[in-house]
Amino acid sequence: MTSQRAIALNVLALYALAALLAAAFAAQFILGELPCPLCLLQRIMFALLAIGPILNIRFGPRPSHYALSLLAAVVGAAVSTRQVLLHITPGDPGFGTALFGYHYYTWALIGFIAAIVLLSLVLLLDEQFEKDPAAYSAPDVIAHVAVWLVIGLTVANVASTLLECGFKACADDPVVYELLKR
Amino acid sequence: MEFTALFLAIVVAMLVAWYGSRTLALSLFAAVLIGCVATFLHHATDALKLSF
Repeated sequence: MTSQRAIALNVLALYALAALLAAAFAAQFILGELPCPLCLLQRIMFALLAIGPILNIRFGPRPSHYALSLLAAVVGAAVSTRQVLLHITPGDPGFGTALFGYHYYTWALIGFIAAIVLLSLVLLLDEQFEKDPAAYSAPDVIAHVAVWLVIGLTVANVASTLLECGFKACADDPVVYELLKR
Repeated sequence: MEFTALFLAIVVAMLVAWYGSRTLALSLFAAVLIGCVATFLHHATDALKLSF
């Protein structure tokens, strides 16, 4: 895989992360369910996962950039595994509404494991790391849109979390936006 | 509040990764990751009921 193809793959990864963050927002606003602290932490780990692809697009693919995403995915998997284990006992209805039979945190665990596997597979392709300045070109419009989409959704999460938690620690089982409370 | 701060720090790290220096972006990433692990350990205090 050439460096240019690797960058295209990184742009695609950013769109996938943007879709995931948007889906979490959709569940929050359409179903009216506020994310719990562990749910917010999983969103944060997905947003943190995006820094590796952004660096790959800007500076070219490097193993260290993929390592950042791997670290974020491993911590994210640990967080979602803990939430799955919190609700694993028979009779526990789980937290929030299930989507296609699985709760958000279970989907998040599947997403983080998929990210770890995909990142490891991409790291196997050494050709992308060969230095060829002639092959490098500035990020195109599609890459710019992908980066700004992810940044925009993360900014939206800053606003949404501030509304939900206010200026104090988030509730374990939030039911109301603290800053909109009368 | 801590989650708002973490999201905000990620926005800053993303902007630095896109416009600023690579070294600073890597340092910010490391700081945010440590903050995330600390937040996780702070919230992961409930006992897991795994015996069934």
